[in-house]
Amino acid sequence: MSIVLRGVSKRYGAYAAVENIDLTVPTGAMLALVGPSGCGKTTVLRIIAGLETPDRGEVLLDGRDATRWPIRDRKVGFVFQHYALFRHMTVFENVAFGLKVKPRRERPTAAAIARKVDALLELVQLGWAGARFPAQLSGGQRQRVALARALAVDPELLLLDEPFGALDAQVRHELRRWLRRLHEELNFTSVFVTHDQQEAIELADSIVVLNRGRIEQSGAPGEVYETPTSDFVYRFLGQVNELAVTLRGERVCLGPFEIDVPLADAQGQQVALIRPHEIDVSREAGGWPAKVLAVRVIGPIVRLELAAEGRAPTDPLEAELSLERHATLGFVVGETVNLRLRRWQIYPLPTT
Amino acid sequence: MTGREAARPKHGSAGRRLLIAAALLFLGVFLVMPLLVVFSAALSKGVAAYAAAITDPLALSAVRLTLTVVAIAVPLNVVFGVAAAWTIAKFEFRGKSALLTLIDLPFAVSPVIAGLIFILLFGSSGWFGAFLQAHAIRIVFAVPGIVLATIFVTFPFVARELVPVMQAQGKDAEETALSLGASGWQTFWRITLPDIRWGLLYGVLLCNARAMGEFGAVSVVSGHIRGLTNTMPLHVEILYNEYNIAAAFAVASLLALLALATLAAKSMLEWREPQLGRHALRAPDRTRRGQA
Repeated sequence: MSIVLRGVSKRYGAYAAVENIDLTVPTGAMLALVGPSGCGKTTVLRIIAGLETPDRGEVLLDGRDATRWPIRDRKVGFVFQHYALFRHMTVFENVAFGLKVKPRRERPTAAAIARKVDALLELVQLGWAGARFPAQLSGGQRQRVALARALAVDPELLLLDEPFGALDAQVRHELRRWLRRLHEELNFTSVFVTHDQQEAIELADSIVVLNRGRIEQSGAPGEVYETPTSDFVYRFLGQVNELAVTLRGERVCLGPFEIDVPLADAQGQQVALIRPHEIDVSREAGGWPAKVLAVRVIGPIVRLELAAEGRAPTDPLEAELSLERHATLGFVVGETVNLRLRRWQIYPLPTT
Repeated sequence: MTGREAARPKHGSAGRRLLIAAALLFLGVFLVMPLLVVFSAALSKGVAAYAAAITDPLALSAVRLTLTVVAIAVPLNVVFGVAAAWTIAKFEFRGKSALLTLIDLPFAVSPVIAGLIFILLFGSSGWFGAFLQAHAIRIVFAVPGIVLATIFVTFPFVARELVPVMQAQGKDAEETALSLGASGWQTFWRITLPDIRWGLLYGVLLCNARAMGEFGAVSVVSGHIRGLTNTMPLHVEILYNEYNIAAAFAVASLLALLALATLAAKSMLEWREPQLGRHALRAPDRTRRGQA
């Protein structure tokens, strides 16, 4: 099922939850809505589901205007953040619910329902759990029950609100891979909401970054990560070092480096953003002298905190290098090294 | 160090025993003793007198009236209470806190005042008095008045019990049911209601107990017509005022038995479904959230 949102806005009293959202999801795609909490991503998801009605704008499902359709006519599966399992029903009854409430002439026979539920429980690797109650399952198992229940009615669109938010890292990783495989096998369209930029980049075909109810940027995950169009997106998608951009006479400077920026672009307050892995650290002469304040080994990478010359020591730069490179060079706390900036992005300074 | 640690449990257990003893004494004096007194006073003149008192036609008519009133008032208050709690717990609207206060009104107002309200509204010189007389409809000093007064007094029980339960329940499960294609009614009967049934049961029990035992408001609107508008509590009072102590307590023991029967029914239901008893009701978070 393809989804199109056109100029969708929703207010709660004086608070604008989302404003003027335009969005297209082609059939079979997997889209991630990402942003900090309160950015309106869940509201967008609920509008697509039909759990909220937009104040303005329209929702098209497969090209038809579905703005006012109630949720039960939309053929969507909705998985809530905390799964919303029916706790007075067994796992089997939970999954069977969508089939049992169908009108009599569409309802499958009891035997057909049982077959389908059993198949779904096998699919989510919970064939053994049919007679259990939700309270007897772990978080990851409940999540899979919620998915099986949503899939039971053959939705053409699966909507997931923070699907892995409440799970520990290991389970989350497994479930992500499993969901992606399921998405490809069953070929439905998926939209999920997350505040975890890594999850979005790893899982989705395309991502939409929201901020204060508006779309900041959308596109393929790689494209958005490589070329953020605003400092908000740049900051949201990963670790950031911030450098003031200064004018020295006729020249534009970034720390001690003169850089190649048209002078006109550098007018007004600007800021340069640099990711930690885009700073080279070496002992070779030349570059930007800096003192090593701390060395932290984080699995395969090593993060250095550096007090660069001319910057307040309370505002250190962070650089990342591979564990292998660190093993060869062996930087120690207190020594002076030289920095080179490999890549950066310059944005107008946020006005807030 | 070790000496102090060893001393602590001893001191603790003495204190604990004292507290338990105090609690048991309190329970005994204020709950068990009155119950025993009711039954011993009822039987003080022998089993024959007891049987005569409770098979007296006036006593039987009081029992019948009380059960009739309960059979009308409790179901109506269940419907009102569920609707009110659902509205308050699941929707945002202006005047919500005012509505909550209004629901509490019967608790705040003295039952005698509640009775008088109905006299003022439906009595012969009340607001609707002329209209009612013209159409020969009797409300006050008749069964409808007693039912109305009982409904008023017992209105908050179901709603009050359900509002927190429904608030804790949230809307997620209902919205999920709708997304799976269930209709509004199917969602209510299969999702909302089963999830609140324990809260509802407690509300019904409290409402039922109060409806059977209500004295003040009913006393004002009943008119004390023996055999016609006397409920059990009113009948007990009349007998007591006539110094017919044994008969008064005999009827009172019937009321107490009715209360014990409802409690027994509740325990039976809980016992038959231990899986979904109080635990599920009291710990919604454990079932609702993952092991974050």
